[in-house]
Amino acid sequence: MKLALTVNGARHDVDVPPNTTLLSVLRDDLALTGTRFGCGRGQCGACYVIADGRAVASCLLTADQAARMEITTVEGLARGDQLHPVQRAFVEEDAMQCGYCTSGMLISAAALLARDPEPDETAIRDALAGNLCRCGVYGRAIRAVRTAAG
Amino acid sequence: MWDRKDPERLEQRIRLERDGTVTALSGKIDFGQGLRTAFAQLVADELDVPIERVNVVLGDTSQVPFDFGTFGSHSVAQETPRLRKAAAFARRQLLERASAKLRVPVDRLDTDRGLVVDGGERRIPYVELLDGTPLSGTVPDELPLMPERRRRYAGRPMPRVEARDIVTGRATFVADVRLPGMLRGAIVRPPGRGAKLRSLNDAAARKMPGVVAIVRQGDVVGVVAERDDQARAAAATVEAEWHLVPVEGPSADVPMRSDPGVDARLAGASLRLAQAYILPSIANAPIGPSAAVADVRPDGATMYVGTHRPFGVREQVARSVGLPEDKVRVLPQITSGSYGRNSHADAALEAAILSKGAGRPVLLQWTREEEFAWSPSRPEALLEVTAGLDADGRIVAWKYDEHTNVHTAAGLDPQVLSGTSGRNAVPPYTPFAAKVTLHIEPTRLRTANFRSLAAAENVFAIESFMDELALASRQEPLAFRLRHINDLRFRRVVERVAECSGWGAKLPPRRGRGIACTIYHDTYVAQVAEVEVAASGQVRLLNVWCVVDPGQTINPEGVRNQIEGGIQQSASWTILEELRHRDGRVTTTGWDAYPIATFNDAPASIEVLVEGDATAPPTGVGEPGAVPTAAAIANAVFAACGARVRQLPLTRDRIRKATAS
Repeated sequence: MKLALTVNGARHDVDVPPNTTLLSVLRDDLALTGTRFGCGRGQCGACYVIADGRAVASCLLTADQAARMEITTVEGLARGDQLHPVQRAFVEEDAMQCGYCTSGMLISAAALLARDPEPDETAIRDALAGNLCRCGVYGRAIRAVRTAAG
Repeated sequence: MWDRKDPERLEQRIRLERDGTVTALSGKIDFGQGLRTAFAQLVADELDVPIERVNVVLGDTSQVPFDFGTFGSHSVAQETPRLRKAAAFARRQLLERASAKLRVPVDRLDTDRGLVVDGGERRIPYVELLDGTPLSGTVPDELPLMPERRRRYAGRPMPRVEARDIVTGRATFVADVRLPGMLRGAIVRPPGRGAKLRSLNDAAARKMPGVVAIVRQGDVVGVVAERDDQARAAAATVEAEWHLVPVEGPSADVPMRSDPGVDARLAGASLRLAQAYILPSIANAPIGPSAAVADVRPDGATMYVGTHRPFGVREQVARSVGLPEDKVRVLPQITSGSYGRNSHADAALEAAILSKGAGRPVLLQWTREEEFAWSPSRPEALLEVTAGLDADGRIVAWKYDEHTNVHTAAGLDPQVLSGTSGRNAVPPYTPFAAKVTLHIEPTRLRTANFRSLAAAENVFAIESFMDELALASRQEPLAFRLRHINDLRFRRVVERVAECSGWGAKLPPRRGRGIACTIYHDTYVAQVAEVEVAASGQVRLLNVWCVVDPGQTINPEGVRNQIEGGIQQSASWTILEELRHRDGRVTTTGWDAYPIATFNDAPASIEVLVEGDATAPPTGVGEPGAVPTAAAIANAVFAACGARVRQLPLTRDRIRKATAS
């Protein structure tokens, strides 16, 4: 089916089979591979994108549903060379190890800061609770989100 | 087995490129341990170039020297002297070339951030000394290294070199590789491990949308299609009949230490205690499931993989697709942390078969269910320990029987069993007579490498038991340990962790602290955990303190990050994780059935003090942080509520039952 998606502020026309997930369209049709596959069931957060202001699992959204939304992926967080504050803070705090879950964490954090610029630690934990990290950088990520909030 | 004896060739280690950048080469792989950064620091210092100019190439079999594999937290220890010497040799060659060019003796020349300088006006960029002749030669064994005061990077905290690519989403993980004409694969899974294919009906699958090929080689059956969903949908329609072959693991008994007189001393001891500890199997459970991209052509193959042993993958793929090894290039990509799981090249071998069969490049990424169901896992362990104390409360005899299965992809290699399945089974305490035996017993579960191998299991038993011995002999757990530690570096980390955690402080009700320590491959580590145990038996990890001595430290920030991560991951194993399996089949195949720690479970603080002995060679930190945590937590649970739990994970039921008894 033919669809027009708005991703990172730009319109993209795609032709994909029915029920193709937003995750698959991002990775396989738009070459936006920063959004990662983790479980396909919305349980790990690796594929989070911002859809109309909320962090959601792109493996659970169909491309058809997403066509009615404004989508932001990790590639759309920076403004040119200017990193988003959460990206900068994650680099500064070394809040990553393998980096596979990082995109999803950044998306959750960016969505949080957009609606609550000064979250306390509980709000940060709650906002990122859907992002699993096996390397164990939770403590650093919490610090990074606080730093980004200023 | 870890060391090669071939002489080191400079051109296999350091390349000065025509654009003035420096390429450093190593067969080690970075899964998030920060090796790329540490290696860049070492080379930038020794060659005297700005670190931004150093590119580190890891594991590309067409470029890097042979390496057995990335295991056991050996990488920094093993590669530091090699990279340093190679870079120092490269710098010396550049100085010699400049000397010839300027007609100035070498000893009047020096380097300054990528330039050779003569103390006066003349400054030659390294790249101008190339003159079309690459730096090369056998790296000498003895070579003066850069003095400590001239090192600008090593020893200082550095952000990881790939951080910007990771936060912008640009980093190319295995499943992000895109090749022209690339297709997607999906494997038709048998009902059980080791099953033999009897017959196959793929008529329906062939007619499914997007399907390009159905491939069968031996007992591997897969579908290749335009899109991932299409390959999976078609694979689900393939009718395969399988013959199930029961898989039995091997068995063996390995004596690890056999001092004379253990039984007699136990019999004569004034206090004797025996306990048994049990750990379940657990899953490596990487966030990114296994993936590989294979481009197999009649005249050669290129493999984009996540692996601990690129040269091993090269050998296996070459054999599987029928190519000579030198026609297979393995290009390790950034990969999801997998903590040992990628010692098995499962996805790579399957992708190679699919690519060969389809005649096109193929990306195969396992599903979450496949990752749990078909990955190798850490096996169960039963640890039986008996000790005897003299009238003065000192250990005089120690008998330890470890029952578990193989812990590595190497299988039942008798030469490696004691160092893998038996890792850290011999206690680090002195002096007493000990008999330590490893019993390899069959399990149907597919087992393999997981962070620290059996050390995490053995240290859980040993350090829990040390607390039980202290209690039985009315001694304080910290003091009891110190009575049995002679090694000064070991003693120091234990004393320091007590000091920085305020060991002995009075705590609110239901809270408790536990201590545990170990020596893991010459890295000294001691931890104190503080927990709160609810009336329900629910454990909450509140704080962890850790002091680590990894010898000379290259990147203190990298060390802290690794140790913190090890503690966090180990806390998850200890409190939450148990992989269930039946007849060799894993039955917990999703994050809902196999929960791991989340942001809400993370302790308020993990304080890591990196206090390396600068006079000792650097040792690894990827694994040691994970080793003492289970016992520190279990000991803290006992301190909090009096429940001694000898079986992991520390579930509410177990804690409630132990409290009641």
